Amino acid sequence: MGDSQYSFSLTTFSPSGKLVQIEYALMAVGSGQTSLGIKAANGVVIATEKKLPSILVDETSVQKIQSLTSNIGVVYSGMGPDSRVLVRKSRKQAQQYYRLYKEAIPVTQLVRETAAVMQEFTQSGGVRPFGVSLLVAGFDDNGPQLYQVDPSGSYFSWKASAMGKNVSNAKTFLEKRYTEDMELDDAVHTAILTLKEGFEGQISGKNIEIGIIGNDRTFKVLTPAEIEDFLAEVE
Amino acid sequence: MAQSAIEVPPKGGFNFDLCVRNDMLTKKGVQLPSYRKTGTTIVGLVYKDGVVLGADTRATEGPIVCDKNCEKIHYMAPNIYCCGAGTAADTEAVTDMVSSQLNLHRYATGRQSRVVTALTLLKTHLFSYQGHVSAALVLGGVDVTGPHLHTIYPHGSTDSLPYATMGSGSLAAMAMFESQYREGMTREEGIHLVSEAIRSGIFNDLGSGSNVDVCVITKDKTEYLRNHMLPNPRTYVSTRGFSFAKGQTEVLSTKIKQLRERVVEVAVEGADAMEE
Amino acid sequence: MSFRIFEYNGSAIVAMVGKNCFAIASDRRLGVQLQTIGTDFQKIFKIHDKLYVGLAGLATDAQTLHQRLVFRHKLYQLREERDMKPETFASLVSAILYEKRFGPYFTQPVIAGLGEDDQPFICTMDSIGAKELAKDFVVAGTASESLYGACESMYKPDMEPEELFETISQALQASVDRDCLSGWGGHVLLVTPTEVRESTLKGRMD
Repeated sequence: MGDSQYSFSLTTFSPSGKLVQIEYALMAVGSGQTSLGIKAANGVVIATEKKLPSILVDETSVQKIQSLTSNIGVVYSGMGPDSRVLVRKSRKQAQQYYRLYKEAIPVTQLVRETAAVMQEFTQSGGVRPFGVSLLVAGFDDNGPQLYQVDPSGSYFSWKASAMGKNVSNAKTFLEKRYTEDMELDDAVHTAILTLKEGFEGQISGKNIEIGIIGNDRTFKVLTPAEIEDFLAEVE
Repeated sequence: MAQSAIEVPPKGGFNFDLCVRNDMLTKKGVQLPSYRKTGTTIVGLVYKDGVVLGADTRATEGPIVCDKNCEKIHYMAPNIYCCGAGTAADTEAVTDMVSSQLNLHRYATGRQSRVVTALTLLKTHLFSYQGHVSAALVLGGVDVTGPHLHTIYPHGSTDSLPYATMGSGSLAAMAMFESQYREGMTREEGIHLVSEAIRSGIFNDLGSGSNVDVCVITKDKTEYLRNHMLPNPRTYVSTRGFSFAKGQTEVLSTKIKQLRERVVEVAVEGADAMEE
Repeated sequence: MSFRIFEYNGSAIVAMVGKNCFAIASDRRLGVQLQTIGTDFQKIFKIHDKLYVGLAGLATDAQTLHQRLVFRHKLYQLREERDMKPETFASLVSAILYEKRFGPYFTQPVIAGLGEDDQPFICTMDSIGAKELAKDFVVAGTASESLYGACESMYKPDMEPEELFETISQALQASVDRDCLSGWGGHVLLVTPTEVRESTLKGRMD
């Protein structure tokens, strides 16, 4: 990419000073399925809707929450295929860091590297910005952390955040429910309740995904059965 | 390609910048330094429930023992380990690299790594360097297709065997295997025979020495028995050792710098250090 | 012209671990084979307050490598807003050296530092980055053989800073006196959690 005479950058300023390609990318995120993350006192939870186009799709083949390293996990809102590119690049980046320093990559560093990739795709020739926003959950020497990375390549640390179709409602809900001293289990409950708010139809272990990381610093995607247990607790 | 104005951290791969200078020095008759080797006895065998790997712990530089208790059994994956002989830097680098590739492969596939995958990655790398990456390896592990043991030579050729030895002590160790190995051994028998083979290397090969490391891999468990045997304890330690009186050394000058307590605000400390 | 490349300039470097402290020492000679050129030559370099690297071998390579190490550490400090742990730094040095596997720097580093919770860490590697971690002492340079002998007999575990200083100094002096290519006194750095004591030793000048 980038070596033909047509591979100039598609992301160029409009006369009013906007990068409309990035705004379109953000719209792709905004119309994507809802994802959210909550940082608790002793861990982080990320969760997302998993609505499939047809009941005929085998839901076990879809995995929206993935781990980047043993102690960092990620969820996206927006275009699934784009997220896979970022996941692949981030995992490789994490391994490169490990091979250089023989030390696990800190969450901030991995987020920065991932954001740098997303930024590069807003300025390079022959490519378009990523149509995804990421929520990165990790636990390292600096404690539990939650980051959001946007198509422009900007990133922020959050106590709790949401993205996708129901952002504003979800964020308002999280603002009401969030407390600093929340335990991880409470955070999972809150995450489920937030998802439930804007959910069309009956929520179940099969149509949402939850990833958690606690004091053991091991990121884990919950199985449908484990989600069902949490759902039972919420009701 | 033009060299960039500032040096940036490497992306991987070797750098040959100094080769011309070093060749010039060699041609003038300068002898290049020897590299740290693991003279080494490394072995492995397949037993009833899995694989046992073994290694001695001596690292040498020429005739000098430079590490009396080094680790030669390298981690590849939770279910795969690899013993390394040859140039220490090469065995370390090649196993680390492949272990990292396996890790990424596990994330991509969501399955346990297979021993053949590790084997193929190792041999393609070694073959592409035509023996210049001098690593001789014994690779062992248990995967979905059962227990596997392989030897890999520096040029990239491989073998699949029920019992294998490598390194300068391989003959001594193989003597034990040839006389005592049989199929379907128990865990205890396996560990015992591996230890005996390594001991045979330690005592009969001068490139091998010190202690016995063992690694037992089964279908659902991996045990790394570091310093399983210590057949060569120090015999010359005096209980008191040397005692030097304070001020015995003639000192010309002393400069003392007080260190601050570890500051919580890390950025401030970093900024200070940068000013120097 | 036939000599081993390490014998061009000559060097002796040693690091030892004590109780919550460590010491790293070097000789002071810079030579061109048997001719002495300098008698106050720096071979131990500071990376940060609690991390030092000694570089034995060909002096030009040692200085070049030192510059690269400082560069990489400063880049790390800026990026991560923290100092490197000694273990991390050792891995970095190893990676930098192994990158030049087929055209190496002719230098053998000795790394010594206080890590988290002020635990001492020492390590050395060959010129292509094969790490050797030791709990007691590590040596490098043309006097390494005699240093092995001296340290092997003089070293004791858990020495207090004062005793560690005397031990490392005596081991260094005894060793360089049996090596033509290193000597002219020594530099000793004694690092405890609260202070760094930098001393210059008096030694033979022949």
